[in-house]
Amino acid sequence: MDGLSEVTLLLDLGYIILAATAFAIFGKRIGMPSLVGYLLAGLLLGPVMGLVAIDHSLELIAELGIVLLLFLVGLELSFDKIRDLGRAALLLCCFQVGLTALGGFAIASALGFQPLPALFLAATVTFSSTVVVIKLLDQKGHMHRRYARLAVGLFLGQDVVIILALTVLSGLDAGSSFELGPLIKNLGVAFGGMALLLAVALIAARYLLPRPFAWAANSPDTIFIWALCWCFLIVLLAHEFHLSLEIGAFLAGVAVAQLPMHEDLHRRLHPLMTFFIAVFLVTLGIRMEIQDFGTVWVAALALSAFVLLLKPLLVFTILTRMRFDSHTAFHTAIATGQVSEFSFILLALGASSGLIGGTLVTLGGLVGLVTIALSSYLILHADALYSILDKRGVLRFLGAQQKTRTEAEATREGHCIVVGMNAMGRAITQALTQSGHTVLAVDTDPRKLADLGRAETFIGSVEYESVVEEIGLRRAHLVVSALQIEDVNHLLAYRCKAYGVRCAIHAFDLSMVEDLLDLETAYLLMPSVDGTVAQKEVLVREGLVQT
Amino acid sequence: MSGYAILLLVAAIAFGLSKLLRLPAIPLLMLGGVALRTLANELQIEIDPALVRETIELGLAVLVFTAGADLSPRRVKGRARPVLILSCAQFLLLGLAGVLTARWLGYEWMPAFYIGSALSASSTLVVVRHLQQRRQFFEPYGRLVVGVLLMQDIFIILLIVALQAIAGGPLECSLALLKALALGAVALLLHRRLVPWLCRRFSADEETLMLGALATLFTFSGVAYLLELPFLVGAFLAGFTLSAFPVNGLVRGMLGSLTGFFLALFFISIGFVLTLPTGAMLLHGLVLILVLIGVTVLLVTALAERLGYSTRAALEAGILLSQTSEFSLLLAFVGMGAGHLSTELFSMIALITVGTMTLTPLISRDSITWRLMKLHPKPRLKKANDLRTLKDHAVLLGYGRAGRQTVQFLTEHGLEVVVVDDDASVIRQLRERGHHALKGDGSDARVLQEVNAHHARVVLCSMRRSRDARVALDTLRGGNAKVIVRTFEPHDAQKVRVLGGLPVNTAEAATQNFLKWLESNELPAKEPRMDTNLHK
Repeated sequence: MDGLSEVTLLLDLGYIILAATAFAIFGKRIGMPSLVGYLLAGLLLGPVMGLVAIDHSLELIAELGIVLLLFLVGLELSFDKIRDLGRAALLLCCFQVGLTALGGFAIASALGFQPLPALFLAATVTFSSTVVVIKLLDQKGHMHRRYARLAVGLFLGQDVVIILALTVLSGLDAGSSFELGPLIKNLGVAFGGMALLLAVALIAARYLLPRPFAWAANSPDTIFIWALCWCFLIVLLAHEFHLSLEIGAFLAGVAVAQLPMHEDLHRRLHPLMTFFIAVFLVTLGIRMEIQDFGTVWVAALALSAFVLLLKPLLVFTILTRMRFDSHTAFHTAIATGQVSEFSFILLALGASSGLIGGTLVTLGGLVGLVTIALSSYLILHADALYSILDKRGVLRFLGAQQKTRTEAEATREGHCIVVGMNAMGRAITQALTQSGHTVLAVDTDPRKLADLGRAETFIGSVEYESVVEEIGLRRAHLVVSALQIEDVNHLLAYRCKAYGVRCAIHAFDLSMVEDLLDLETAYLLMPSVDGTVAQKEVLVREGLVQT
Repeated sequence: MSGYAILLLVAAIAFGLSKLLRLPAIPLLMLGGVALRTLANELQIEIDPALVRETIELGLAVLVFTAGADLSPRRVKGRARPVLILSCAQFLLLGLAGVLTARWLGYEWMPAFYIGSALSASSTLVVVRHLQQRRQFFEPYGRLVVGVLLMQDIFIILLIVALQAIAGGPLECSLALLKALALGAVALLLHRRLVPWLCRRFSADEETLMLGALATLFTFSGVAYLLELPFLVGAFLAGFTLSAFPVNGLVRGMLGSLTGFFLALFFISIGFVLTLPTGAMLLHGLVLILVLIGVTVLLVTALAERLGYSTRAALEAGILLSQTSEFSLLLAFVGMGAGHLSTELFSMIALITVGTMTLTPLISRDSITWRLMKLHPKPRLKKANDLRTLKDHAVLLGYGRAGRQTVQFLTEHGLEVVVVDDDASVIRQLRERGHHALKGDGSDARVLQEVNAHHARVVLCSMRRSRDARVALDTLRGGNAKVIVRTFEPHDAQKVRVLGGLPVNTAEAATQNFLKWLESNELPAKEPRMDTNLHK
């Protein structure tokens, strides 16, 4: 350990973050999804300028992003939600994978590829990118929607198929003969591992995690680190069984999702995921090899058109036959319109085994770039696209049922928000509830939110932008903070001022008064001053002063 | 991935122990790192050295950036003079004591200088957490301590700049300091003008805000690198750039999880790279810990008292500053990188940090403070001529925000009032207005005796700490005075009743006043409600 003589990782991260920020801000101006911006930033840093090369450290950080992303997806799923769509997702996965692979094989053959390369290309177009889609759905705030859960179910199913494909492929080394025995053993390990992980997640959710997490509930730092530790241990376990990081992280998340503080954990972990996933997406761009793009563009265009149009159409048709409503079917289908980053691994593995040529890797990369970029736009603007196609009767023509199940955003409006369930916060919550207001009580400690009668409760810290959105701060009638944390109170007052919402803030120290008044706080809660009146009453009642 | 999993497992155990034992997490994380290394050696588990090095690299950047982001000048608002005097005096004198002790222990000048400098900084992470947990952040001594900590961070950063360039001679050293100050001036300009303007002008989502904050970190670090300054200086100044309200508040939530993750792994990695110091070095470490605690407590107490703080507040400030800082580790790490310190010496400084951080919650208990108060050679209890003779009067323990109204009400009703407060300026102003006032601690039996509280008609407790009120109640038990205590939480009110006092529930009072205000200022709700009493 020689101090700070080398800071290579910091330098690489510096380039990545600066380029990602520049593209994200520029992208916002022209309506480009940040995800596309990250890919372009990667292209600029890697293939174009050669500033950053992917090494083990960056790979690891990118993997952390994937792990956290899937852990967060799992964190949103209760067992009921999984039961609700699990079977449908499995069925969809079987049909989608089978039919898309056939279609892909047919197109690749039509483009003049030999059977083995055509098989690889078929696999490439079959799978969709879990990371890309979840990132976009998260950006849209749609992760809790029915179609998002269905899409996640489908992608996890695809993951299982990918694992099987990789297991088979690893047994198909061009230089050696194919042996059935080890292959069956590996498949057995993979399936056994999956069953074991599922069992671990179920047992942990019910018996292992609730008690320690409840004990540490009032220590958010401890909960945060414990949740991360749990996630990484399960990921390691998954790795031992040759399963993907995604499956391990997802199941770890599902186990924690059954705990009362899962929503707060989700919000705390979200910024961490945002950072790591941005790095992952930029590194995806850095890895692209663009020098041979000119030779493969025709095939790339044809395959991209298949992925962007025919694959979603196929999924839409399957879902409508499964009697899903047009809205769910359409949005799920649109989410499948890109290839997975796993496809790159599959192709690279094929090339390194000598089964296919290097051109196919470039072709896969170009298809990936085109489909990920274009499907980002499609996913982000899926609602508008749905309206247009629905009005023109296209969806009915394709055999879709009318939208039967509306999923209106559960928005709060005209409510009172009380933050901080100390004695004053609780008293105000109860008084407002009794006087007929719709009250949302907010605290980071679930125990403090107990026994609040008709008041709605929310576990979380208002420091987070996502919490501010979820509690509907901008649409609130009144916001009250009983907190004794100066910075959070100031921030809350600032946000209320920005949204034009009246707020009453606990000014527990005189030094806060001026700042809070500057922030146009409507009312200052000052218990020590207000207590003077009550104190006078006690003085009179006890005969200590003459009235 | 397995490396991260192992580090996180150690972090999880350290955090669990920290909660169980009520000790700061940092020393336990470092000890966890030490244990991990021992275990890894025993069981032949390989932890990737590159992962450890990179975790330290990223952790340092995050640590310094976070410290800079907390450097809001608002934190020392109204207390600049005492903060400046105390921080400069403590840093210089404690540093000097450290250097002299190290020299006495046989170290060369350069290592002795590092040791002295490392001793003179206290831990912001530990102290701020301690103050928040005990809700003493807004007490006068709490604000003083936080101000001193912020100044110490600046001193250490400047020291790192100077020490990095010291090999080039005084001219290069001065030039490096000038460059750092120039970069600081740019940061100040951005802090004051550009960043608040950007914040007002553009509304950024969570993702853009986070990337923007990190881009600031890397831009400043890059500029520092180009200026041949340590990149940590850039990271610190980047944090300072974002420390203006409301930017700091907006980014804190997002950076909180990044900080939590990287710092946990950072301290474990630091523990992991430590080498076991020799027996002599351990003994030296012990001597230095004693010097650190002894000098800090004496020095800070004496200075804070001179600056107008009560004996108890001054003692508490002294005790709370008696540990080395995460910035001491930073300084030692830079020193090791520059070849000024050996790995053993770095380990010794790290162990001093572990030791003193672990001791902090143990020695900053009220019972220790009271014992030291008794040992205090010159309690600042100014004898007031006529207070002992007062009878059937009112005693107000703690002037606070409502003191003026209370004193006015009591005097209007013909009661003589004595105010006891630990704030010298409050006492001076009260005396100027012709009131009886005594500077001191309301929970100190000698003070209560001094104002003849036992023979008062009523004693009103509005001290900040509920425990102080209970001590006063206990002291006054059996006397003539009725004791009224302001409480906030119901369980405190219950305790007051049990001890024979009369609780005044301020939370309830504030709620009632708030509801009255709401009734008279109610606006139509955004969604009409069917049943709203407040509209009547």
